[in-house]
Amino acid sequence: MQEIQQPRVAEVTGAQMFLLGFVAFCALAAVLIGSFPLQLSIITIFLFAGVHNLMEFRYFAARMPVRWGRSRLYYTIGIGGVIVLASAYLTLYFASGNWLWSLDTWATFSASWNTAFVLWIALLFYLRGKQRPRSDWAWAFPAAFMLAALAWLVPQYWSLALVYLHPFIAMWFLERQIRRTRPEWLRGYHCCLASIPVFVAGIWLAFAGQPNLSDETNLFWRITQHAGSEILPGISSHVLVATHVFLETIHYAVWIVLIPLIDRRALPWKLSEIPLFSNSRGFPKAITAALVISVVIVLALWGGFAIDYTTTRDIYFAFAIAHVMAEFPFLIKML
Amino acid sequence: MSAAAVFADIARPRPAETPKAKAGVDSMLSIRLRGDATEARLIIPKDQIRQLRAQLEQMDAGSDNTAAASSAPSFSRTQTIVGGLFLSMSMVFGGMWFVRSGKAPTRAGKNMVVLAMAAAFASAATLVYANAGPPSDARSITGRMFSQAVHAYGSGWGRVKLEVGNTDSESIELIVPNPRESPTPKPGTDADGDE
Repeated sequence: MQEIQQPRVAEVTGAQMFLLGFVAFCALAAVLIGSFPLQLSIITIFLFAGVHNLMEFRYFAARMPVRWGRSRLYYTIGIGGVIVLASAYLTLYFASGNWLWSLDTWATFSASWNTAFVLWIALLFYLRGKQRPRSDWAWAFPAAFMLAALAWLVPQYWSLALVYLHPFIAMWFLERQIRRTRPEWLRGYHCCLASIPVFVAGIWLAFAGQPNLSDETNLFWRITQHAGSEILPGISSHVLVATHVFLETIHYAVWIVLIPLIDRRALPWKLSEIPLFSNSRGFPKAITAALVISVVIVLALWGGFAIDYTTTRDIYFAFAIAHVMAEFPFLIKML
Repeated sequence: MSAAAVFADIARPRPAETPKAKAGVDSMLSIRLRGDATEARLIIPKDQIRQLRAQLEQMDAGSDNTAAASSAPSFSRTQTIVGGLFLSMSMVFGGMWFVRSGKAPTRAGKNMVVLAMAAAFASAATLVYANAGPPSDARSITGRMFSQAVHAYGSGWGRVKLEVGNTDSESIELIVPNPRESPTPKPGTDADGDE
């Protein structure tokens, strides 16, 4: 009896789908953002800034253990640092308009805050290294001292470098999460990461010849300044803004879509996956209240953006410091 | 790091909305090679000096900070001291860490050492290359500046005397001493036939 063999159709794995989806999304984002950088900057912050903060808070809440145990010192310094540094930051932010402050004073306090910040991160690395067997992460201190020196000697370039490095923090989180929950996707994700410089290079090649973006309004000026147009006057602000918005868009996509996709426990409505909520020794009311407040803040942000985008954007970036700083204790803890 | 990124978002006070000074004065430049000249002279017509002066006054009156923003960074005393202190501490602590961890170097540690050494060699090479002097012809404004060697180097400089033009000429004039042994141009063939 003759057997008819059906040609085998190659199955597309989840990792391949993930890679294809990521690359397609980046290609679309690069084209749209490169073509309309200012418009997309305004739209992405309006739509996703508050939502991604909510998702981050939800993720961190799920990662916080009910009892700190031998990590007590680590979490104390981590959370204490967030509170102290965020308070100092807000003080600096709101006091900097005072007529008593000269530009030099502002620069000195700014560099001091940056120094405290990198030393705090170095301490977290060191403490985390002590918890890992056969690890010596004391190198974090010389590295932090080097960064602190740069913060003092070339503050403008140091800050600008961090603006462009910021989006990659989310990608690092995703990498650690994939290692834990979907290790078979890791290779595909590394290919995704490798594609990002290609898209950035494409943006630069395609739009480097574009004239500078308009900075006639206060909002446009803030957006172009944020992307470094004053520090790098020789480069078209069109390219700078497009590059920054492109990276920020990936950052938002990671927090809002990819991390919940990789770790279903990060889905916002699955409160039972949060130890602080579900554990008998937890704090379910406090967690519920915090999440409700977070949702209200997101709604308030949308309302604020709709009424006065520029002012709301300034306020958002001022208070966003706390959640951004909170990334570090959790990220370093995952290493 | 991302916290500092947001910190970097703090907008400095926006300068007052003042009309921007005109970018410059449109002019013409004529370069004359003269064998009898002993020094380079840049002669700027009076009316163009007046225009430049007007722009300068406008910039002063409008607190224009363009120059400050685009000029090379200058270090304050505090910046230099604290920055140097942290650089020193970085090297000292890095050295101590390296020595202490030398007994059982991991693969990652070895890679870091290799990277650090490569960076050190690259820095040294950059330093040496950066200190290599330009061709001597590029360090004075003479007719030799138009030689192939200086052309390949890409830039040159030298002392020049600035003068206010007394003639009715509308172009800026650069008088360039042209010693006889200058390779180009040959005597009698320069632009204005001075020789």
